[in-house]
Amino acid sequence: MIDAENISKTYPRGEGGAVEALKKVSFQIAPGEFVVVRGASGSGKSTLLNLLGCLDRPSSGRYRLDGEDVSRYSDKQLSRIRNARIGFVFQSFNLLPRTTALENVEIPMVYHDGRVDRRRAISALERVGLAARANHFATELSGGEQQRVSIARALINTPALILADEPTGNLDLDAGRDVMRLLEDLHDEGRTILLVSHDDAIAAYASREILLRDGAIVSDRSGPNKPLHPAVGGAV
Amino acid sequence: MKAGKLFSQAARSMRRYRLRTTLMMLGIVVGIASLAVLTSIGEATKRETMQRFKNMIGTFDTIMVRPGGGRSRGMPTLVNVPPTLRFEDANAIASELPEIRAVAKMQTAFDVDVKYSDHAASPAVIGVSPNWLELRSEKVADGAFFTEEQNVSLARVAVIGTDVRTALFPDEDPLGKTLRIADVAFQVIGLLKSRGAGPAGGSLDNLVLIPVNTASRRLFNRAFLTMVIAQVKDPYRSTEATDKVRVLLRDRHHIRPPALDDFTITNPAATMAQVRRASSTLTKILTGVTVMALLIGGVVIMSLMSIAVSERGKEIGVRRSVGAARSDIVLQFLFEATSVALVGGMVGVVIGWGGMQFATQMQKLPQILVWRPFATAIALSIIIGMVFGIYPAWQASRVDPIQVLRS
Repeated sequence: MIDAENISKTYPRGEGGAVEALKKVSFQIAPGEFVVVRGASGSGKSTLLNLLGCLDRPSSGRYRLDGEDVSRYSDKQLSRIRNARIGFVFQSFNLLPRTTALENVEIPMVYHDGRVDRRRAISALERVGLAARANHFATELSGGEQQRVSIARALINTPALILADEPTGNLDLDAGRDVMRLLEDLHDEGRTILLVSHDDAIAAYASREILLRDGAIVSDRSGPNKPLHPAVGGAV
Repeated sequence: MKAGKLFSQAARSMRRYRLRTTLMMLGIVVGIASLAVLTSIGEATKRETMQRFKNMIGTFDTIMVRPGGGRSRGMPTLVNVPPTLRFEDANAIASELPEIRAVAKMQTAFDVDVKYSDHAASPAVIGVSPNWLELRSEKVADGAFFTEEQNVSLARVAVIGTDVRTALFPDEDPLGKTLRIADVAFQVIGLLKSRGAGPAGGSLDNLVLIPVNTASRRLFNRAFLTMVIAQVKDPYRSTEATDKVRVLLRDRHHIRPPALDDFTITNPAATMAQVRRASSTLTKILTGVTVMALLIGGVVIMSLMSIAVSERGKEIGVRRSVGAARSDIVLQFLFEATSVALVGGMVGVVIGWGGMQFATQMQKLPQILVWRPFATAIALSIIIGMVFGIYPAWQASRVDPIQVLRS
């Protein structure tokens, strides 16, 4: 599914200087894996997530998604990939204010071929247990509910890959557990989940853990407590 | 992104940010409303002026010669004009100039008592040639106009305007009745069709027409004319004909340079063109002022949209993350700006329409349907929305989703 080969990301800083956020990182992720990326602040986790989510392009190296080299794709091509194949879940939910839960879930359909299918949006909300709150504004929902709406939004175009950046970071324990259960369900359906988290308890849901330090992978393990999803059939 | 989706997104944004949308619209509403009102009034005034002018002079293929040089105010009458334009001058214009098809003579007098039974009026009493009707494109509503024979035989016959009919014959048919003009009896043989108002707004129907020879010999005892109306053969060469008439009259009146003319020639076609030019200049000035107002409206849209872009950074980031390309963001913001301007334009048109109705009523202008300013206003608002939406839309497309989603 994901094949990263020597990908680096350098940001220009100040007078001719540069910061190398990722240094020749290589790894693969098979379809259906549940991977957690861990690391201290500034280790390059978010940069990696942005690159894998096609929000950014690597400065060097090659990134293949489903066998397609997307490293040099145009903005339009990357947008289509984000829309059809990737679902984002953010730490701060990023729902649009003054917009109902239902309208938030519909947004990815605006940029997808075909019409905006309200019934599909409602069933996505049903899926996360929030159909009853479809017409509530984002600000009227609790943190956990907002995150579940954002998961419904991520699912609406049925992407194969879900990228979650600290999805429970702003939630209490119970709400965090609900969200993780949802992600686990999605994984059980065969979706590939890649999440960034500091939290050991959250990391335990994953079958594989990639540890980053200073923009490089320092460990990549699928431990005994990290079984692969049955659909994957073995370590990558 | 399809147009339907674009429209619904723009509509949602406009609803979501009502106050900002209203503020953005305000400039356009004011600009479009004033554009619609001013240009409509300008147009209505122009049409009304032209109509009144046409009412007065009748046709555009005639030139008018009045005695006396320079400008004189009001209608030339027997008491306020010099006796320099004579019957023979009119005959010479008719016979010596091939450019002229026909000539009508005129003797006008005001303050003449016209009476019938116990009714009295003071209309303009005008002695005219029998071909006057044809030269002025006027019509007799009832009865007949006098003939050349009646003119030659100094017949005491009169054709009256509708105001005179109302004043003197409120309850009876005037045809065949005898009225008295300065105590001379005249038989009413015709009733003129109403001409409405003249350029100054006064009625053109308060008149009595009698044969010019009868007027000269039986009523006024004057051998000079107050006006000669000459019909040119080719209306497109009326300026040339005007020059010929001038040369002829100067010659007949023995006027040599540097002496000035002792007559005045008016060329209605030229005067009309002048009126048209003056009103179109006025319209241009008004349009210029309102275009300025619209530009200000456009700048307001641009500034508020630019502020909106920074406030809606997170929304842009979310849209980008779920699959919006830069071009989609450009289109969305451009569509929003255009929709705001268009809705503003439409509101402006409605207000402008109301304003125009009010203003035309106040100014007593005719209620005419002037659609062009309104169509222009709508088109202009779309253009303004598009032009002034480009910069904020471009700005929105440059928002870095990574930065805004992280914050």
